[in-house]
Amino acid sequence: MYLVDMENKIKQLRKGILELAILGALDRQSHYGYSLIKHLTGDNGIELTEGTIYPILSRLSREGLVSAEWMESRQGPPRKYYALTESGAEAHRVLAGEFTRLQELVARASSAIDRNHEPENLPQIEINKEANHDQRNE
Amino acid sequence: MTKEMNDQVRKIVENYLGRLRRHLQGLPDGDREELVREIYSHIYDSYAQDETEDEVERILGVLDRLGEPSEVVSGQLSGSMKRMGRRRNLPFLILAGFFIGIFGLPLGVGGLVLLIGLGITLAALILTYYVAAGAFALAGWLTIIVTTVRFLFPGFLAENIHLMDQFLDPAVATPLNYVAGAVLLLLGAGMFWQGRHILRGARYLYGLPGQSIRHIRQNRWFTAAQAKGEESIAPNRLEGQTE
Repeated sequence: MYLVDMENKIKQLRKGILELAILGALDRQSHYGYSLIKHLTGDNGIELTEGTIYPILSRLSREGLVSAEWMESRQGPPRKYYALTESGAEAHRVLAGEFTRLQELVARASSAIDRNHEPENLPQIEINKEANHDQRNE
Repeated sequence: MTKEMNDQVRKIVENYLGRLRRHLQGLPDGDREELVREIYSHIYDSYAQDETEDEVERILGVLDRLGEPSEVVSGQLSGSMKRMGRRRNLPFLILAGFFIGIFGLPLGVGGLVLLIGLGITLAALILTYYVAAGAFALAGWLTIIVTTVRFLFPGFLAENIHLMDQFLDPAVATPLNYVAGAVLLLLGAGMFWQGRHILRGARYLYGLPGQSIRHIRQNRWFTAAQAKGEESIAPNRLEGQTE
């Protein structure tokens, strides 16, 4: 029994892009978890299971791409601030470039179907239908 | 304006953090507490920003957006450690429902019974193995002890336990008895020792149905419930504040 698990596919796709978005956000300024989420989702109402950024942050931290520091908050418990390290900035540059290329690839791949294949294929299907009609009529 | 948490809200938060801690059991204490502090800080900020009037509703919204502890910790632990944290919920009935749903009632029950039968057979085989190991070890022990006693009191238990000294020259038989006893004892001990491989294999086999249930539950039923907009998580969250 094989089930296509779309939820998982979307999760996989999001994970890498989310990581890139986090690096991009931290490239501008340092953030603590909650402010990073607010910055990422913004006013666009992007749906994000907020907890998912914490495993990513701790992995980036283990990899040395971000540094973390606890700072007192004016109200409430201290917050853990994350900032991009030098190698993190470098990683962001490389990944952002790669992402742009991939975006172009995806755009080109799906537009190619529209432009090249459909006009050729559609009449062919119609011809086949006509052929069937003819056969049936005879 | 700061919104301080009341007792009920605090309880819900503590329940959530407790579950988070359980998911992080494999981590060193320092790392675990740091992550828990960070998540608490998130919950506090998120709660303070939320505009929802009802406080319980507000905290449930905060935790719902944050996601289940398993999502917050995914990637923190290796797969095996995560499994340890989740082992508690393997309701047997779901497996039954799964079989019955797929194969129809008669076949489903048959499949289930077959599975249970296989499980019991395997358990019986493992038990047999250990009984044999125990028998070997016991025989070895007895041989050594009886030989020693007989060395001092010839004829001890001669009618019940037959050893080589009864048909060989005792000078030859005594060392031979010791060697035989030692071999039997080692054989038994070796079987016990090697049994860990069997146990590990059995644990894996017995874990398989559980894993598939969890898989099905997480990937299909759970998301189906969420897609329908049911609050599948909230009742669980509230477990800390009943009564």
